[in-house]
Parts: sequence; structure tokens; C-alpha cells
Amino acid sequence: MATREVISNGNELSALAAKDAGCRFFGGYPITPSSEVMHEMSDLMPEVGGVCIQMEDEIAGVAAAIGAGMAGVRTMTATSGPGISLKAENLGLAQMTEVPLVVVNVMRGGPSTGLPTRVSQGDVRQAKNPSHGDYRSITLCAGSLAECYTETVRAFNLADRFMQPVFVLLDETIGHMHGKAILPTEEEVAAGIVPRKSFDGAPEDYLPYECEADQPAVLNPMFKGYRYHFTGLHHDAKGFPTEEIETCRKLIQRLEDKVMMHTDELELNEEFMLDDMTGAEGEVLIIAYGSVSLAAKEAIRHLRAAGIKAGLFRPITLWPSPAESIKKYTDLIKNVLCVELNIRQYTEEIERVSGRLDLAGLYKVNGRPISPNEIVNKVKEVF
Amino acid sequence: MARNLMRFTGVGGQGVLLAGEIFAAAKIKAGGEGLKTATYTSQVRGGPTVVDITLDDEEIFYPYANEGEIDFMLSVAQVSYNSFKSGVTPGGTIVVDPNLVHPSEQDRKTWKIYEIPIITIAKEEVGNVITQSVVALAIANTMQHAIDKTILVDTMLSKVPAKVHAANLKAYELGEKYANEAMAK
Repeated sequence: MATREVISNGNELSALAAKDAGCRFFGGYPITPSSEVMHEMSDLMPEVGGVCIQMEDEIAGVAAAIGAGMAGVRTMTATSGPGISLKAENLGLAQMTEVPLVVVNVMRGGPSTGLPTRVSQGDVRQAKNPSHGDYRSITLCAGSLAECYTETVRAFNLADRFMQPVFVLLDETIGHMHGKAILPTEEEVAAGIVPRKSFDGAPEDYLPYECEADQPAVLNPMFKGYRYHFTGLHHDAKGFPTEEIETCRKLIQRLEDKVMMHTDELELNEEFMLDDMTGAEGEVLIIAYGSVSLAAKEAIRHLRAAGIKAGLFRPITLWPSPAESIKKYTDLIKNVLCVELNIRQYTEEIERVSGRLDLAGLYKVNGRPISPNEIVNKVKEVF
Repeated sequence: MARNLMRFTGVGGQGVLLAGEIFAAAKIKAGGEGLKTATYTSQVRGGPTVVDITLDDEEIFYPYANEGEIDFMLSVAQVSYNSFKSGVTPGGTIVVDPNLVHPSEQDRKTWKIYEIPIITIAKEEVGNVITQSVVALAIANTMQHAIDKTILVDTMLSKVPAKVHAANLKAYELGEKYANEAMAK
């Protein structure tokens, strides 16, 4: 893969990725600690003929972004947890109407306005179900500066493949940390763009929501002669409201199945120093994601130097969770430590997929990062 | 080179963030690894701000300085000095602006404390208070021998507008001079 070196911060790398992935619309409202995403988009979009608009509030920001998605453009918004709370209703609309959209959430302390300038992973549970009703969230979580870029690129391709919002979770630490990232070249990213499917038959034959039971809607761009309807109500093949029993059932079942029958296209993990694990007594499995995994890696260096065989499993796609991969390691290794900047938000998922209730945990919710020393001490204390 | 951990503290708006970015970028240009993280309060202007700079030849994962392991700290605000001095390793170096920060006698026994009037140098000798971050940059690099001076200065100049290049170069030279004088005492 052809690469380039960029010195930047996570938020700006996310914006750069959006531009390189073909995003041409950003609608949003600035909020700490995500504001640099919007600042950078306001520079980048006009350079490539795109639009960046600051709307009157968070709700209008996502509404504008969804509108651009309906028109057929690759589109993004960025915010933090309080913004997701406000955007929730419209995110549900995008799920129901199957409009692709990338939502970057740079997490800070919550609930409510919380700790605006401090780090947290408190929105992991929210990302799974920001809006009511049945649908499946696709949530990616960057664990390095480079991944702020690559996961945003991946989010755009997944949004068009699955025709729904895709979340990219950053957090204050990774969004603001400034350093070196080795990125794929712009050409490499452009070559990997897979645009959404479209229908090219006669307009009178076009049925956007009439599709295979495990496939997303095929939404043609607006203003090309293909007429259909968007609604948050249960809808028929043309997009018009209906209460017909079987149509309603099939629609919602399809929203579930279009994601859950294709989790193999979504799963992405990092396995750090796990290749020499044998299941022997004393081995330690740390499960962490996002910026916390940086502390975990540093901790693993120290633990290994002290003779403790530790390794990290890091889900990059958080939702749907990598159930089988987690179970493989939790079956193999007895000592498991989950580390999160929240209280057990992902640990509960690990418990569910592993079937184990004896996992140790290290959690912090005071807006401060978890240090490598804290992880080392916890491992020595509990195992 | 072993890991070099530096911490710049001040209050929001003083430019400590930029100094950190320059350090990280210069180290990367020199072929190593550099990371800068900043922590600030929701009171961005005037609130206590801390910038941690990690420089290493090896890959850096965790971007913050471990408390108690910092080699060098520079502080231009009492409130930030009080909050963040505990991160410095005993025997480590702390530079303060004596007009703004007043270390205790105990502090002077714990750390090597140098007093350099950073803000006054920028304001009166350079003639532009904004250059204080470059004065600080020069002091830190002179005392820590962190990065080749040419690379650091080139990186610094690439991040400031051309019309203030001369002022910032002067700020760097003055910072270096005062740092050498302080260490010679």
C-alpha cells in the first residue's frame, strides 16, 4: 500500500479522510471536543467544490447532512455526546429511510453537558441505540491517529454499502493528540471508494425499498428523474406510508438483517501481543478500545518486561460486536481485564458474548485518562 | 535517546499549545516520534492549561506524561504551576517566570528551579508578547538538548506567518541566551 506521513491531530485527520473519501457536504454545529473536525471541513470542502455549513443548532446540522445524503452526496456531521442526544430523532429517520451518513462523535464526559474538555468513552452504549426502534448501529472506534483517518474512510464506504448512518467514535484524547500518522495516499483511498448502488432501469419501474430480505434500499440520487418518497413512517416499496402488516414486518426485519447477516463485512479488530498466548496459567487478556488501548499497549510493554504475559484484544468495529473473536480469547485465557473510560458499557457486551461473569474491570469516569501505570497496578492486584 | 517528557503549563491563550506542536513536529522531522497532548478546562481563555510533550526514538503509544516521570516543566501561571508540578520527577528541571510564579522553599529543594522572565523578554526585548511561546520553546530545547536546533527553528518558522519570522527568530535566540545564562549561574 502506498503511504504518506502526515503530522496532525485526530479531528483534522478525520476531516481529511472525509474529503479524500469523496465527502462533499458537511452540516453541523461546533461542539467541544469535536470542533476541529468542522473547522477543517470548512477549509477543505470549498477547495473541492463541496459545502460546509454551520446550521443553527445540532438538530439542523444533522438534518442538513441527511438532506445532502438524500440528494445522493457523500455527507458527514461531527459532534460530541450532547450533540448525538439532540440529533437522535433525525438519526432514527436516517435509519428508517436508509440514508447513508457518517457521524463522527468525539466523546467527552456526560451525561448532559458533562465535562466538555475532558476525555470519556461514555457514548458507547448511546452509539448502539441513539434512537428508538429496531435497527442495527454500525459503530467504528479509532485507536490511533492513523485510524482517525482510515476508520472515517471505511465509514463512508460502509454507509454506502449498508445505506444507513455509520458512527466513528473518537474521544477527546485521540481527537486532540498531535503527532505522526502514516496514511494511505489520496489515490489509494480514491481507488477504494465503492459508491452506493443505483437503479438504471426505466423510472416507472423503480422501487427503491423493494429489495432482497438482507439487502439495503437502492436510493438513486435526487433530480435524475427517479421519483420516490422519504418518510419516517413504515413505508412501501416506493417509500409511501403504509400499515400493511407484512410490508411493515419485512421492512423492520430487513433493517436488522441487512447488517446482522453481513457482520463479516464489518468486523475489524487488533490483536496486540496475543499470538503467543496458549491458555497457560497466568496469562492476561486486556480488552480495551479507543484511546484507552494506547495506555493498555504501554502497560503490556511494562507487564511483559516484568514477566507477566499480557496481550490486548481491541475491537475497532464496536457495533455489531465481534462476538466470536471475543469468545475465542475469553475461552482461551482465564484472566480477563476490561478497561474503559465509562462504567462497564462495553464490558456488559463482552459478558454477553463470552458467557462469562468473572471478568475484572478498570473503569474511570472523572474526565481523566487511564494511565499505563494504573493498568499495570490493576493487573498485579487482581490476578 | 531515551524518552524525553516535557510539560508546558500556563493559562489558555498564552500559546503553550503551539509550542508543544512545534516540538512534536520537529522531532518527527528529525526522524523520531513525537506526540503532543493538551489538557485544558472548559474555561479555554484564562483556565489552567497543560501540554505534555513526549519525544522518543521508539513508537509512543500513551500520549500523556506519566505523573512523576516528567524531566522538564515550564510554567507561566501560578495556578497551573500548583496543579501540575507534582508530575515532575524529583531532581527534574522547572523553569518559571518569576513575575508570575512563586515556588516554595520546599519546591526549590525538590527540583532544579530556574527563574527566567519569559513574558517580559517577549514583551520588552522582542517587542511582541505572542513570541513568549517561542522563548519558552528555546529555553526548553536549550536545557533539554531535545532536538537539533536547526530543525526546531525551521519547524517553528513553518508554523508562524512570514511577517513575524524575524521577531520569532529573535525570540528563539533570546530564549537560548537566557537559558544558558540561567544554567551557568
